[in-house]
Amino acid sequence: MRTEVITPEEHERAFAPTKKPEVTERQKLSVRYHVEDYDIADRPRRFLEAFAAILKHSNYRFALEHFIRMTTRCSKCAVECPIYQATDDPHDIPCHRSELLLNVYRRHFTLAGSLKGRLFGTGHLTNDKIEEMADSFWNCTACRRCTIECPAGIDHALITHLGRYILSEIGISPRALVVSVREQLEGTTGNTSAIPLPALIDTLEFLEEDMKEEKGIDIKFPLDVEGCDYMFIPAVSDFLIEAETLMGIAAVMKATGASWTIGTQYFDAINYGLFYNDRMLERIIRKLVAEAERLKAKNILIGECGHASRSAKYFVPTHCGGKNAIPALNIMEYTYEMLRKGKLKLNPNTITETVTYHDPCNIARQGWVVNQPRELIKAFCTNFVEMTPNREKGICCGGGGGTVSIDEIRTYRTTVGGKAKADQIRATGAKYVIAPCANCKKQIRELLEDQKIDCEMIGLHDLIYKAIIFDESNKSIDTENQKG
Amino acid sequence: MQGLLDFAEGPLFRLTFFIMVLGFARVFILAIWGAVDAYRKAGDKTIAWGTATRKTIGWLVPIRSVFTHKPFYSMFSILLHIGLILVPILLLAHVRLWETALGFGWLTLPKTWADLLTLATIVAGVAIIIGRIASSNLRFLSRKQDYLWPLLLIIPFVTGYICSNTAVTPATYQILMLMHVLSSELIFVLIPFTKIAHCVIMPLSQFIMLIAWRFPAHVDDDVCTTLNKKGMQI
Repeated sequence: MRTEVITPEEHERAFAPTKKPEVTERQKLSVRYHVEDYDIADRPRRFLEAFAAILKHSNYRFALEHFIRMTTRCSKCAVECPIYQATDDPHDIPCHRSELLLNVYRRHFTLAGSLKGRLFGTGHLTNDKIEEMADSFWNCTACRRCTIECPAGIDHALITHLGRYILSEIGISPRALVVSVREQLEGTTGNTSAIPLPALIDTLEFLEEDMKEEKGIDIKFPLDVEGCDYMFIPAVSDFLIEAETLMGIAAVMKATGASWTIGTQYFDAINYGLFYNDRMLERIIRKLVAEAERLKAKNILIGECGHASRSAKYFVPTHCGGKNAIPALNIMEYTYEMLRKGKLKLNPNTITETVTYHDPCNIARQGWVVNQPRELIKAFCTNFVEMTPNREKGICCGGGGGTVSIDEIRTYRTTVGGKAKADQIRATGAKYVIAPCANCKKQIRELLEDQKIDCEMIGLHDLIYKAIIFDESNKSIDTENQKG
Repeated sequence: MQGLLDFAEGPLFRLTFFIMVLGFARVFILAIWGAVDAYRKAGDKTIAWGTATRKTIGWLVPIRSVFTHKPFYSMFSILLHIGLILVPILLLAHVRLWETALGFGWLTLPKTWADLLTLATIVAGVAIIIGRIASSNLRFLSRKQDYLWPLLLIIPFVTGYICSNTAVTPATYQILMLMHVLSSELIFVLIPFTKIAHCVIMPLSQFIMLIAWRFPAHVDDDVCTTLNKKGMQI
């Protein structure tokens, strides 16, 4: 992967301060994302206490021990990092970013490092080092491409993940994420977009009317039906801004006669805990599973959202039952399975313009959801072109790792983070770029706008909604749960 | 001088070699122990063992990397590793020493091949040092040991090659041989405690990476308690 380095003017714009100087001074923190006021006293000590507590109750220590013995600093990861490719700043090389935290670990949590540090009086954690970590760890989009080419097998994304977790325990986290999670876990609406339940119900009824008008049949969003095969839960923002994705999904469920429902006590699959704090990740997972258990659902079906799917698939078993946990799957897995079984019919000539597909990092990097969307696209598009690289090696949209929700760094995201993705999209000359992820959708929409690329971002199920063919049996089916 | 050489080739060799083997055992056991303990605590024990094995084999035979990024670095690095592994073990002179000590020997490299491989190792080591100095990124990332290690590693190769291929005076030979043995022994002693320990724990990397993402269950309460955050608002 090669992308051109941004110009000095772009660099200046992307890295311009976003906060008033008095806020930076008050918080003793020169980062571009906004942070809620926090206790600035004795930060190094509190950072180390948080680090120690996390090490005590987690699995990170053995990995850090391995990484400090393995790191060879070959800089091969630099070639894979879209951020470094855009800035050409060695501070953005993943290996350097990881070293910021590994150095703290070596100095304060290993015997040799501790002895050496005390003997020479060097290397101890300072406020400056905390500030550098707070800046660097949020420059990263957590796309995990750097792990692909690390010969030593160092997981830089895991180290960044841990670094963000420790920082969050001393109050340094993007305000946008903290406020959303607070509303999701402790707020009255219980979701990150603060959508009240009546508004949700209104929205869904409105969409049902739209679908009736457009497709001529009753397609319902069944609410609170117990004992269904699937409890469907999208990123809650989809209810506000991705109506066509939801209609596409509802249409697929109708056409395939699925037993499904949406819970009214909890309807937000977003899990920002994955991006900044393992404790929040766990609490959100528990809330998700509690709703699935209330509804006695057999599976948790996550909408078009990468990080929500990854957090549910990998962390529902972690926190709620191991191998006996409720299975979680991504909607594209379901839709593809229905297509493969012949239960879903799509018009093969629906889209004749050039279409390309963006692999969301959280579902593609491990090779989980890569073939399914491609097979679906080929079933209704006549002109599908790939971006290069793709699939497991796909390039991040530039808004990964929660950064897309930080509006004040939009210029950074669309100038630096999304530079390589913009180049990729431009090179395809596609009319549509399909991005089946709530985060990627927002980022790519802004990227296309800021980079002035003549291409339209669209969800996969938005297009499936156009391509879906209902036969007579669909029109007569109105299963019990769809009346719900 | 001869007495010193005898000491270096005898008791000192045995001691340093023993330290290396013990050190290897320590880091390997610690890594395995850590991984097993983490796996035991993991809430989700589903691990893609096959994928990790495939990736491990891919990195143990990293030919692919030559054709992807940084081809020269990759090529020299692979060459250096091949030389570092094969020459010390398969060189005829070394195998003779093992035969004396253990009572049995093994296959040896033909002299021409051994010489070529030795020269290639030296060239690769020098190229890696030059590459590190020449690249602004690598200069930025490098610690002192990142420059010193390739230098130290090629000293036994340079001295060994001179001793076995050039006509030198007996005194010079002894000095070179002493340098050859002592530098090797310094390497033995340092390996388990530095980044070169990767020679034994590298095959575990891909597995450790996967297990590390398998978090223990119910950590929220524990961390809250330790940090006195129980009942606190987000």
